[in-house]
Amino acid sequence: MARFGALFSAMWPFCISALRSGFRSRAVVLILLLGTLLVGVAVLAGSFSPRQPQTVTMDVGFSGIRFSLVLFAVFWVQELVGREVERRTVLYALAYPVSRGAYLLGRFLGVLGLLVVAAVALGGLLWLSVIFSAGEYTQGFPVQTGWPYWLTIAGLWADAAVVAAFTLWIASLSTVQMLPVALGALFAVAGKSLGAVLDYLERGADGDQELIGRYGSLLETIQYLLPDLSRLDWRTWPMYGVPVSDAAVFYGLLMGAGYVLLLLAMAVITFGRREFF
Amino acid sequence: MGRRLPILPLLVMIVGGFVFLMGQSALKGVKRSRPKAEIEVALPIFVQVALAGGDRYLAANWSVIRALVTETARMAPEEYQVLGQVQKDASWLNPAHEDNYYIATAILPWEGQVEPTQVILGRATVVRFFDYQPPFYYAFNLLYFMGDAFGASEWLRRAAKELPDPDEQLTMENLAAGWLDRSQDLDMAARIVDAMAAQAKRKDFADYLRQRGQRLRDLAALRRAAKTYSEQHGRPPGSLHDLVNAGLIGKVPVDPFGAGFAIDSDGLPIFMSGLKK
Repeated sequence: MARFGALFSAMWPFCISALRSGFRSRAVVLILLLGTLLVGVAVLAGSFSPRQPQTVTMDVGFSGIRFSLVLFAVFWVQELVGREVERRTVLYALAYPVSRGAYLLGRFLGVLGLLVVAAVALGGLLWLSVIFSAGEYTQGFPVQTGWPYWLTIAGLWADAAVVAAFTLWIASLSTVQMLPVALGALFAVAGKSLGAVLDYLERGADGDQELIGRYGSLLETIQYLLPDLSRLDWRTWPMYGVPVSDAAVFYGLLMGAGYVLLLLAMAVITFGRREFF
Repeated sequence: MGRRLPILPLLVMIVGGFVFLMGQSALKGVKRSRPKAEIEVALPIFVQVALAGGDRYLAANWSVIRALVTETARMAPEEYQVLGQVQKDASWLNPAHEDNYYIATAILPWEGQVEPTQVILGRATVVRFFDYQPPFYYAFNLLYFMGDAFGASEWLRRAAKELPDPDEQLTMENLAAGWLDRSQDLDMAARIVDAMAAQAKRKDFADYLRQRGQRLRDLAALRRAAKTYSEQHGRPPGSLHDLVNAGLIGKVPVDPFGAGFAIDSDGLPIFMSGLKK
């Protein structure tokens, strides 16, 4: 227990400095800018809807928030770890009498904190625009703007956290500039697509047996390497009032947390063995 | 003494200006190629998901908006097939999408795309267990487009179960009984389209649906006139003008979609688009 305390107090300054430099850079402006854009697109999409403008606004908004959070996660990890390694400024941080792991984990916590701020800000903006996008029209089936909405936002945050952990791992071993950003983005797309692909094959791939035969076993393997990030997407609840089961939420979070731990451990190991000269 | 003008850049400038003017004036006479098809391609589901960053809900919204902004009044029959595929894919990606089943019902079956509509409505019935409309439209399509009065009656009873009000349930169950001996009832079809128009938030879409309803009523009036004509003359009318000449209708109605009305080989008035070539 004492060791955890020591690790945590070693991590803390790195976390705080990550948060500070996150806010000092144009991150906040960026969040607001992207948020406004996102809300604009969502409301525009909603205005196309003949019967459920609020649902469509919410739906497109969730997709936009997911996209933004993943983007932030990848860029902040690159900014706070990748760039420091690249410019060798990381050596100042590592000159402290703390482990390299503490530096890495502190930075990760900092990114998680920044993501919370971004999720709450973007979620709040979307929440307001959903409320106001109704106008005078009353939908046949109202959306839920209470805690199912915020649970969904939390799920999107968890999704971004997994992507951040993956990007951190890549940053811990990459010697190529921007590689963490590129692979992080690729990971986010692949992880999110996995659910739809598995679903398609499970339901018989529209009768395409050849497709199942060719990719079925490959995908069977991939789902134990790649997390199914679509399991952290619970939007059917606020949008259609179809509740997500406790098990789906719990195991979804468990899957995400396990994967984050795995990646963090791998990142700490590779970073600890890394030569900077 | 002024500096000498550099020869080469000046030359290039003159040549460039000349070439530009030549090209520009030549282009005036060249017709712009305009992609004719309103909705040309339906992408494979995987491509749609990947393009949406792995987000199946975003992919679904994209398809639905695509379907909504398509000018269906100007589409060729094979394009309706593509539209049907696009909407069917959207329903696979997000079966609960309210606009998707609603637009599909409003457009597709009337243009021969009954099968995709029924797939979309079938999926929506399962996921939207709280919504009576998907099974209701499913029932109507069975009756009107597929001539399956018995199946329609079954589905209508199923829809009745989703109605919250017991009185409405009873009304719909009565309707289900009545449907057993009705099919090809244009006036009923027009009433259903009008009811759909009344639900639309967007005025342009509501107007579009009302035009569709009017078209059906015009056709119904033509059929009644043709029936009277057959009774009076002992043979079916050869053209719509026979009906005008016989004084049964004032003039041939104008089709708001431009396709117009015709008389098939059995003397039955139909939409021009339904005429077999």
